[in-house]
Amino acid sequence: MKKYVLVRAFYSLITLWLLVTVVFAMVRLTGDPVAMKAEAGADPAYVAQLKHDWGLDQPLHRQYLSFIGNLLRGNFGHSFEKSLPVRDIYFERLPNSLKLGFAAFMISIVLGVPFGMLSALKVNSWWDRGGKLLALFGLSMPGFFVGLVLMIVFGIVLGWLPVLGKGRSALVAADPSTWMTFWFRDWSYLIMPAFALGWYFSGAMLRITRSGMLDVLGSDYIKLVRLKGVPERMVVAKHAFKNSMIPVLTFAGLNLLIMVNVAVVIEVIFNWPGVGQLLYDGLSNRDFPMVQGVVLMQGVMIVILNFTIDVLYGYVDPRIRLSR
Amino acid sequence: MIQGLLGLMTALTLLVTTYGDAAAQKGTGAPILSGPLAKLDIKPAQIDTPRGTAKGTLTVAMHFALDPGWLDPLEHITAVTMQMYDYLVHDAMIKPMPYGFVTYGLAEQAELSADFRRAAFRLRPGLKFHDGQPLTTADVKWTYENFKGAYAKLFHDKLEHVQIVDDRTIVFHFKEPFIDFIDLYNGGVSGIGWIVPKHYYEKVGRDGFKAKPIGAGPYKLVSQQAGVQMTFEAFDEYWRRTPATKTIVVKGVRDLAARMAGLQTGELDLAFGMTGKLLARVMADPNLRWDPNFTGPWWLMFPGYNDQGSPFRDKRVRQAVSLAINRQFLVKQETQGIGKPWGNWISPENRDALQGQEAPVPEYNLEKAKQLMAQAGFPDGFEVEYTPFPPYFDMAERITTDLRAIGIRGKMQTLEGPAFRAKIGQGRKGYPGNRNIVQNIDPRAGGSKANIAVYAVCDSPSSFVCDPQIEALWKKHQASLDLAERERLVKSIQKIILDEHYFVPIYWNPFVHAVGPRVLPEGKAVSKYWDTLNAPYPWPWEIWEVKADR
Repeated sequence: MKKYVLVRAFYSLITLWLLVTVVFAMVRLTGDPVAMKAEAGADPAYVAQLKHDWGLDQPLHRQYLSFIGNLLRGNFGHSFEKSLPVRDIYFERLPNSLKLGFAAFMISIVLGVPFGMLSALKVNSWWDRGGKLLALFGLSMPGFFVGLVLMIVFGIVLGWLPVLGKGRSALVAADPSTWMTFWFRDWSYLIMPAFALGWYFSGAMLRITRSGMLDVLGSDYIKLVRLKGVPERMVVAKHAFKNSMIPVLTFAGLNLLIMVNVAVVIEVIFNWPGVGQLLYDGLSNRDFPMVQGVVLMQGVMIVILNFTIDVLYGYVDPRIRLSR
Repeated sequence: MIQGLLGLMTALTLLVTTYGDAAAQKGTGAPILSGPLAKLDIKPAQIDTPRGTAKGTLTVAMHFALDPGWLDPLEHITAVTMQMYDYLVHDAMIKPMPYGFVTYGLAEQAELSADFRRAAFRLRPGLKFHDGQPLTTADVKWTYENFKGAYAKLFHDKLEHVQIVDDRTIVFHFKEPFIDFIDLYNGGVSGIGWIVPKHYYEKVGRDGFKAKPIGAGPYKLVSQQAGVQMTFEAFDEYWRRTPATKTIVVKGVRDLAARMAGLQTGELDLAFGMTGKLLARVMADPNLRWDPNFTGPWWLMFPGYNDQGSPFRDKRVRQAVSLAINRQFLVKQETQGIGKPWGNWISPENRDALQGQEAPVPEYNLEKAKQLMAQAGFPDGFEVEYTPFPPYFDMAERITTDLRAIGIRGKMQTLEGPAFRAKIGQGRKGYPGNRNIVQNIDPRAGGSKANIAVYAVCDSPSSFVCDPQIEALWKKHQASLDLAERERLVKSIQKIILDEHYFVPIYWNPFVHAVGPRVLPEGKAVSKYWDTLNAPYPWPWEIWEVKADR
């Protein structure tokens, strides 16, 4: 098992190295970032100075070595556009994205899983048709549309909920009192963006729960349990539910990462200060260090998730670790 | 008896205060420079006495993400957005204010020698930075020497040395006549005149300064989340007056619908860039007030016009483009009728800009346009790449529809804001090929010569026009020390650009801003906040007044 974990960890590191190398090369294909700052009539001396300050006057291999060297020291570089260290900006935003992502994730689970199960248990009934309709709406009504409707109804017309930002609460590393309070304050700001973001994923969650449940309910061991005379409630709760959740949880884990990292549209509409907007700004402004830093962190999250899943699979199923 | 004494003391106090103000506002003292002086038109500062008390919170929405780099005048490029933050945190030696385009700020006296080789300033007494440290001529010198932004090379190349006479008096000595010095040193044009504290900048460094800047302006930055929000508190000791609003919160809200919603729910008190599809809703909302806030005119350019094979090489084609644009209709559709069809590409608020009879609004005449196209050998028109100024894509659609009527079929090249600015910055080189039309707007300050220097002379990196006639006049302008002659030359160049249809002006753009019900004064009187000439944003901030917080 120890060897298996070490091999997986090595693969993860290789994946991350490949990711940062590809991102380093790709962002440089987008063009010259200095041109973004040097507007009409910009002083050529200022442009040259910027190029020097940003290290873009160095040969590419030097830029790459310096980038990797800095990464190993935990330094993501300096944002071209926001003029501050990328690491500081990113970790200031990350808690907001985690808060929004987790809330949206809970909404997608709360809406998707029970309705998906109900659809599967009462297949081809009105419940099932209702569930399918809900999934259809979830998947076909984009988050920005749901967000704007919510904003108009609950923000402007009824005046119940604020429409902009995340409220005053902030998670400050140097202030331990904020480590817990941050998550439980300013919920009124969170409701609409979390619903608009979670809504789309709830449709997908409903569909995957329904199909997972149908698969399990049609399997031989469930038939056997039923033949043994176990009450239907017990069949569903004890035997079918757990097994049908395996694909749902894998899917949900990936969804959570997406909700945390790339909720750009919802962040823009509700002015939610998350990492998705950072990536968008970084791409729009050819802010190489910002794009590299944000993509690297997204990669780290995905690699950690996959690594954990691999290790857990190896733990629960010895055949997997023996086969690799 | 006691009442009599009190009355006498009050009268004396009033007399002293009034005399002090008058002296300060006059901005005159003992001469600094010897010899003949150039005539300067710098308006005195308006100092408020008695001082009031700051109250309330003003929440402002910018229409894009915030950049901490804006808080550092040393890296100030020509983008007007940066000035908004200069006016909050910093203060300039001389700067545009509602009462004049060049007014005294930190300086109470300025002199320029008649040969334009020396410029002198005297600081007003008792100036302080936000940390309580005095602002002296050492800071003025250090700011000049360490400035890296727009025109930095020119400022540094021209400088021979800086002479600090005392803590309040400074003289800049130039190697050669620097006739544009006062124009460029003005806070409305470059960042070099916005004074930063030497002691603090050296201590915290470039990044530290951007994260937590200190200045001598009416507001102190108390916190910021990069790209998202900045919070400013009134600096009660600001020399000109106590800021009327206690707290100013600036948020970056890029989505127009979100800004509108924020105004309607009361989460925002002021939102910028409300032009476009939602303008009609802003105008119809009884709780909101708006100001047309005219900035610069829209205009079209033809990069590659002088290449062999370009249809725009023929003046008649460029003229046909102008004749095909229905400016009245555009103004109605795009700005609810508040824009003004315009005959020049330079804002009339910029000095020496042609306007009125000198630059009449071009006519809308499709028949004539078609005739000109036929005469130029393009009766069936041709295809072009049309690059609009983002995000005004609807307007671009309307213009290309107009052009289609004379056979010019525009293929839209839509770009994000930074990418568009990057291409414009490269001038003609940013647009390969010779069948391009670019739609632009640039409300830059610094006189009409600043616009010409950027867009219409051959050696500018952002040049879109290179014409020997213009070059000759520009060379003469650059060599001239006669202000009247320079004005004549700048006007002649504009005339050529318009007569040759190198640039096709469209309309003078209202960059509408809207305010919510908490902003004082009531009614349309809020328009006073937009009185500063050549300012797309409503500065100075110290005069903004809101209702007290509940």
